[in-house]
Order: sequence, then structure tokens, then C-alpha cells
Amino acid sequence: MPTTTERLSERFDPKMLAALEGLDFKARYVMEGFLSGLHDSPFHGFSVEFSDYRNYQPGDDLRHLDWRLYARSDRLCIKRYMQETNARFYVVCDTSASMEYRGKAAWGSKLECAKVLAAALTWFLLRQNDAAGMVSLNGPNGAPEFIRPSQRSNQLGLMLRQLDLLRPAGGACLGQLLEQAVRLVHRRSVILFFSDLLEPSEDVALGFKQLRFHGHEVIVFQVLDRDELEFPFGDAKVFEDLETGLRRAVNPPLVRQNYLARFGAFMEAYRQLFRSLEMPHCVMRTDDNPWQALAMFLAQRKRLK
Amino acid sequence: MPFSFFNPWFWLAAVAAAAPVWLHLRHKRQTNVVRFSTLRFLDDQPAPLQSPLRLRNLILLALRVLALLLVVGAFCWPYSPGVDTAPIRESRVYVLDNTLSHQANDGFGQDRERVLNGIARAGSDVQVAVVELAAAPRVIVSFSDDRQTAQRKVRGLRPSFQRGSYLAAFRQANALLANSFGQEKRIVFLGDNQANQWNENVHTPPFLGDVQVELPKPAAGRLPNLSLSDARAQRLFQGDKSLVNLTIKLTHAGEARTADFILRANGQVISNRKVDLDGQPESILLQAQWEAEPASWLRGEAVVEGQPDALAGDNRVFFSLAPVTEGKVALLAQSPYLRLALSPEIMRGRWAARVLEPSRLEAEVAAGQDADVLCLESNYLQSSEARKLLWRYLGNGRGVILLLNRVTPTIRGYLRELGFEADEAIDASERGEERFQFVFSNHPIFHPFLSPDFGNLMEVKVYKFIRLRSAQALPLVFSETGAGLFFQGTKSQGKLFVAAFGLDREHTSWPVHQTFIPFVDLALQAARAEDPTPTSFEPGEVSFIQLPAGAVAREVVLRDEGRELARSSVEQGRARLRLPDQPGLYTLTYDDRPQIQQILSVNPSPKESELTYVESPEALRAWRVDSVPSAARTALPAPRARIPVSGILQQRWWWWMVLAGLAALMLETVLAEMRKERA
Repeated sequence: MPTTTERLSERFDPKMLAALEGLDFKARYVMEGFLSGLHDSPFHGFSVEFSDYRNYQPGDDLRHLDWRLYARSDRLCIKRYMQETNARFYVVCDTSASMEYRGKAAWGSKLECAKVLAAALTWFLLRQNDAAGMVSLNGPNGAPEFIRPSQRSNQLGLMLRQLDLLRPAGGACLGQLLEQAVRLVHRRSVILFFSDLLEPSEDVALGFKQLRFHGHEVIVFQVLDRDELEFPFGDAKVFEDLETGLRRAVNPPLVRQNYLARFGAFMEAYRQLFRSLEMPHCVMRTDDNPWQALAMFLAQRKRLK
Repeated sequence: MPFSFFNPWFWLAAVAAAAPVWLHLRHKRQTNVVRFSTLRFLDDQPAPLQSPLRLRNLILLALRVLALLLVVGAFCWPYSPGVDTAPIRESRVYVLDNTLSHQANDGFGQDRERVLNGIARAGSDVQVAVVELAAAPRVIVSFSDDRQTAQRKVRGLRPSFQRGSYLAAFRQANALLANSFGQEKRIVFLGDNQANQWNENVHTPPFLGDVQVELPKPAAGRLPNLSLSDARAQRLFQGDKSLVNLTIKLTHAGEARTADFILRANGQVISNRKVDLDGQPESILLQAQWEAEPASWLRGEAVVEGQPDALAGDNRVFFSLAPVTEGKVALLAQSPYLRLALSPEIMRGRWAARVLEPSRLEAEVAAGQDADVLCLESNYLQSSEARKLLWRYLGNGRGVILLLNRVTPTIRGYLRELGFEADEAIDASERGEERFQFVFSNHPIFHPFLSPDFGNLMEVKVYKFIRLRSAQALPLVFSETGAGLFFQGTKSQGKLFVAAFGLDREHTSWPVHQTFIPFVDLALQAARAEDPTPTSFEPGEVSFIQLPAGAVAREVVLRDEGRELARSSVEQGRARLRLPDQPGLYTLTYDDRPQIQQILSVNPSPKESELTYVESPEALRAWRVDSVPSAARTALPAPRARIPVSGILQQRWWWWMVLAGLAALMLETVLAEMRKERA
């Protein structure tokens, strides 16, 4: 029996997504298309509605006192609302040059896919009255860009504008990005981490551990291209590293097996790292629809609530 | 248009050829390089057993190699030994004489065959050029022409009637050799070594340096020839008869004893007679007179035939004569004979005389209505108005005939201004009379009097005359005592004729002599302003046609019996025309109007009829530059053959190979694009 996301994937049209101008439209296309396919809407239960009671404490705002309950049971109780329990979300996006890669089958480069997904999640979170912020590195020099989390109505535009400005540049920067995230995110938050993670896991393990040590929940979206996962090249070609500019003549049919083995080991190392740190890890393919990642996110969000 | 780096079409073609090459290279860069996200999983891969740039298409490989070889070969070609690029041992220029005189005994045809044989026999280390000696020397075959083309061009040459300059042809050949590759430079002159050609340039400064000149053809000495030249036709009037007087020079050399002379005018045979040449001088002046319609153009030709005659091209001469247009004479003279001679009864249709009143000269000067010729007696020069009138006529280019019947100090001073010194009046009657003794018979006024039909000028007596001296004027008639009696001034713009006597019975018997009326007519014609357009030319001559004052035309058109030969635009009243190569009569019209303005006669130069030759021309020795003594020249090392840039650019193969290389690259690009589309 097909799962929900499998049915949804039939309605996803990468051409339509690519034809849309602007990140906000793409985010709405992805998110609303995803939500309309779900039977149990996530909007149920997520509102400013009443949640439960707690006993009144001196200093509490009397506006939240439930006077009717006091009249019925002579107890002083304070109403608790869902809004109070919403979390802070940070979008942390890798902008290294390797994110520029776009295979023939992909509907966008890895960075474009990450931006669309991040925008869709931001739109969704702000609709749920969650606070959303952003940490990124700007340009090859790696200057940190930070957007404070907020629930305000203009936050979506701010986030989308910042996402739009992201350009792939520079070499390996995951360590620096994680370091900046640790430095800038103080309160316990949920960090949505978008990257291709094409760096040795041992180089970035410390950064992820520090985030966990500070009490942050980290959801990792690893964006990969089909070419990286399957290495389907046929002709002998010269390969040029997007980050370092180095070139190497490669005969793909001969090296494919070895490549896949090494890539599999690389992915396994990351899986183990995230398993040990209890971080949800979602691999998102640029030639696939992003709803699988969104479904995973919703499942994780329920767990976080 | 020859290939050249300065040719804009070359640059256009280069850009057009470079565009697909650039696209190809750009395309190649895009397809062969994969910009991948990371190479960290490939850094320990074994080196590929095959080249990553392996060409799957052998055609592409072959085309690339071919293009590369062609381009490299093209650049190497000028420096590699071969048929066209081997060091040139000898540069040879044939100067082929194509003047009229060389037609004698088919000299031109034989020498043309010599040139063809020379071209055919020349080895690959000899480069050959051919210069045609004609009115203007032409390079018929250049060093860059291949042998077949050269032979075709030489074979296409036809004998001409032109006269050319040996000197100009040698200069042209020398200029060709100056830009040649050969270690030896040689001019082979194939001409008839005409004596007048060599002699007329004997004083030219030396210019032939380090060039060998070969005259393979032995001079023939002298050939027999009959020729006609110098046809001069004039209109004369005897009473009511309008005559044409024609003189033609018949030149004969050799053993011919008689010649048949045929004269035709306007399609009719005027004369057909046998001329006795035995015991006659080499040049005979033939004369003919016949009646002709004065109001129409006269077209004529004369032919002489006889044996032996080596050159037939100069046996015919063409001439033309314009119709008579009535002239105007202003007469300020008391001579009744002159007035009678210019009366309408005698000069009707030719001259209209207007007698000026001496008392109204001031009004005449103020009116400014000049006639064609002013005829006055000198006693009127006492009047300042008459002097002003004479100056105005001369200043405006009109003619003046001055009859000195009286001399006063005033008149003498005025004559001095005109360039004449008048001495005392001579009364020849005291010691008998003066007769005409020497007459300049070649002058247009007196030339017709060579015919006895017009009377004998020697019978004219002069009783009184003014002794005139002039350093500038040309005396046309002398008396028995050597006194100048008739002069042509040369100082003024208009023509001035001065007679040292008056035309009345007191001074001369001329007014009652039969030569008087023709003389007056001829003198007036000579004094009249000439039509500036010349009518006699040589074949192939380039001339400026000066249009008459008042003529309005944008173009002048040269026609041969209605067929248009040349058309030239008029600029500032002049048009530049090249006359046809063939002798004959050609008409000149303005724009598209059918009216004939001029009939031009084209005749060969009489110099071409002088078939006298020299064996060892002195001019050739004078033209040589002996800068290096012959002994020192032999000691010098052989000059190394150098190929200048201009020589490289003249190599046709070079260009064809470059073009072939570019074409191969374009074809390769097209194939690559097709392969890409299929993929």
C-alpha cells in the first residue's frame, strides 16, 4: 500500500516549481501542495487555543486568570495556551561552492533545493506562530549573517530575502558555520541544518556535538544530487572540483564502483554520527520532490512538541 | 581583386571563418569538463587507461590533423623549396614591341612567338614577365602569373598602330625587376630597334643598374616603305567656288618607282592616279583641290599602294574638315580694295564685314561688341580710341590684322608696345620694286599657295613699306632684299598679323593680283580664334578635349559610325578621352545629342614609318649604370635569395592552403554540432 508521501509525489511537478518566480511562490507551492494532500491537517491543535491549566503563582498576569473556573470551583488557575509552548527554529544553510552543483536530472542546484525547502518550512512555521530565524555565511570570506527569530508578519519576507541572497562560494565551511551557530543561538532552539555535508564527518562532528551540548535540537537535511549518489557518467571526462578548482581526468565506468563504495562509507559515517547525537537525518535528492523531507520534519516536530 | 592583407574582404572572411572555430572551442570546453561538487572520492582512483579526450570520431580526428597540417604547411610554404618557391635563379622581362613599325615584315608576330617559346622553355627557377611596348607600356604578364595564363595573355595580343617609347618600356621592365626574386635580372627586348626610337632618348640619365639587356633580334638596316602622313585640308574660295585644298606627304624609301594614290572624300573618289617616284626625293608633297559643300563636314582618306612596301599600316591617312561658319570682320581701313574684298558680293557666307566709323570709335569701344577679326590701317592708330580698340581685341583673344600704311612717332611708340620696331618708311619705287622672295609656305596662310592654281605670290610687288624689326614676331614673308614684309606677333593673347605695307595701289600691286582674295580669306581665317578642340590624334593617345566657349555638355561621347566607343564627363570645360587604337575617323558628340561636334582623325605617327634600324644602340649604353666594376662584380659572393613579405603574400598556394585549413575547421565544427545534436 502506498504511503502518503508516495501518493503526494505523483502530484509534484519539478517543471512547475522551476517555472515559478521567487522563493515565496516556490515555498507556497511546495508547502500547500504538501499540506493539501494530508488527511490529518497539521493545523489542528496548533493555534492560540487553550491547552491546560496551572495553579496561580504570585506575579502572574491576572488577565490570564480563569475567572469562570474560580467561580465554579473557587480555585485560582491560569490558562495555558499553545502559543506559549511554540519553539524557536533556526535555518542554518551551507553555501559552499559544492552546493552549486546541479545534475542533468535535477530540478535545481543543491543550494536552490535547500533554499526552496528552507523557505517552505519557514512559511509553514510562521503560519504555526513559531519563531523562525536564520544563520548563514555570506560570501567566500564567510561573514556570518544572522536573523533573530521572530513570529512577526514581516519575518517571512525577511527570511526569504536573505535566502534569496545566498550564493554558492568558497570552500569547506561547515565547521565555521556550526561554530557561528553555536555562538549566535543561545536559547534552546530547533536548528534546521541544510547542507550536502561533503566534508569529513570527523571535521564537523565537534560542531554538531556542541549544538547538542547547548540543548538544541538539530534536524539535518542533507541535499545531494543523483550524480553524487549514483555517479552515472559514461564518457571519459575531466572533472573539476567546484570548491578547489582542481582537475582530474577520470574514466567513470572504471572508477564508478570504487566511488560508490567510498561514498557509501562516507554516508554511513554521517549516519552513525547523527544516530549517536540523536539528530534526525534526512537525505534529500535534487531530482526528487521535497515532500519526503517535509513529512520527516512534521514527524520530528510532533516528537519535539 | 588580388589577395592582400589590406583587402577588406580578407578580414571579413577571416572573421567569418574564425566565428565557427571560436564556437567550436567554446563548445569543446563546455562538453569535456564536468564541474563536480567534490573530487574527494576520486582522488585515489587509478589513472584512466584511455585518454579522457579520446576522439570517438575518426573523421573529426582526420579533419583536425588535416587542418593543422594545411595551416602549418601554408606558413612553411614560402620557405620550402619547390616548384613555385625554389630560389629564383633568373628574373626575365620580355619587352615586346607592339608599335606600328614592328608590323613591318610581320616582326610583331614573329616576336610574339619568340616570347611564347621563351615562356614555354623557361625553367622553374626562372620567373617571367612581359611588358607590351605601346602608347603606354603595359605589364601583360606579371611574375606571379602561371605559365598557361602568361601564354594565353601573350597569344591574345594583336598588332597595334600606336607609337610607344622604348625608354618608358625599359623603365617599366626595370621597375618590375627591382621587385623580383631572381639572382640574375634580364630584359629581353623584342623590337625592331628603330633608329628614331633609340636616338630620341640617347641623353636620358642612366637608370639600368645590375640588369642585363638582351637584343636577340639583329637589326635589319633599312626596309623599303611607302607611307602617307601630314594630311592638311583647308577650305578656299575662288569666286563662288568653295574648294578644299589638301596636301599630303608621301614618303618612300626603297626601290619603289611608282605608287598608286587614291583620294576619297565623303565617299567619292577625288583622285586616283599613279605617282612617279623615280628620281624623286624621299618625301613628296601631294596636293589636291576639289569643290566641296562648305556647310557640311568633310571626311576623307588617302591611300597609297606600291611595291616594295614592308609596312602596310601607314599607307592610309584620314582627315576631316569642319563646315564653314561665317565670321565677322570689323574694318577700319580706307583701302577700297580691302573693302571690296570683304564685301558681301565676294565673302558672302564666309565673312560679314562691318566698317567702323572713325568718328564713332569711342562708341565702338564702349559698346564692347567685338567681331572675330579687326582689320585696320595704321594711320588710325593716331587715335587713342583706335589703340584702345586694338588692345581690347588682342586682350580678348580676337584677331587683328594691322596694315602699316603710315608711321608717326605716336604709331611707332605704339608699335613698340606691340613688340615691333618701325624704322623709316622705304620707298622701293625709287630703286625699282620689292617682290616677295621668301614665303613661309608651311604657314596656314601661305600653305595653299604651293598650288599654282591660286597664283604665284612671287609676282606680288611692293612699292612702299615700313622696315620692321622684331625679336618676338615671326616673319612670314621676306622681300628680295631680306626685309620682313609680313609678320605674326607672338606677344598677345589674340593673334596679330602685321603687314609692313598698306593694301592699296600706292604701296603694293597685291590688291590687283589673283592671290589677293584668297590671301585675305586665309589671313582672316588664321587670325580668327581657333576652335580649342584638336582634331588630329595618334592611336591610343590620351587627350584632353577642350570644349569651345559657350558649349554646354555634361559628357562627351566618342563614336564610330554611331557605335559608342567611349564616354567621358566634362569637368571645367575639359574632358579626358582615350582615342581608339585603330586609325580612322571618329565623331564627337555631346551627351546624347546626335549633332556632330567634331570629327577626329586618328592616324599613326609618321615616325613609325621611318624603317631605319640600328644594330648597337648608343642609348642603351647611356642608360646603363656601371656602379660596380665588372671585375669587382665577379668577386662578390652570389647574392642569397631572399623572399620578402610581399613575395610571400603573392604565393597563391599559401592562400589556398590557409583557406583549405579554415574550411576543414569549419567542416569539423559542423560535424561536431551534428554529432552533438544526435547525442
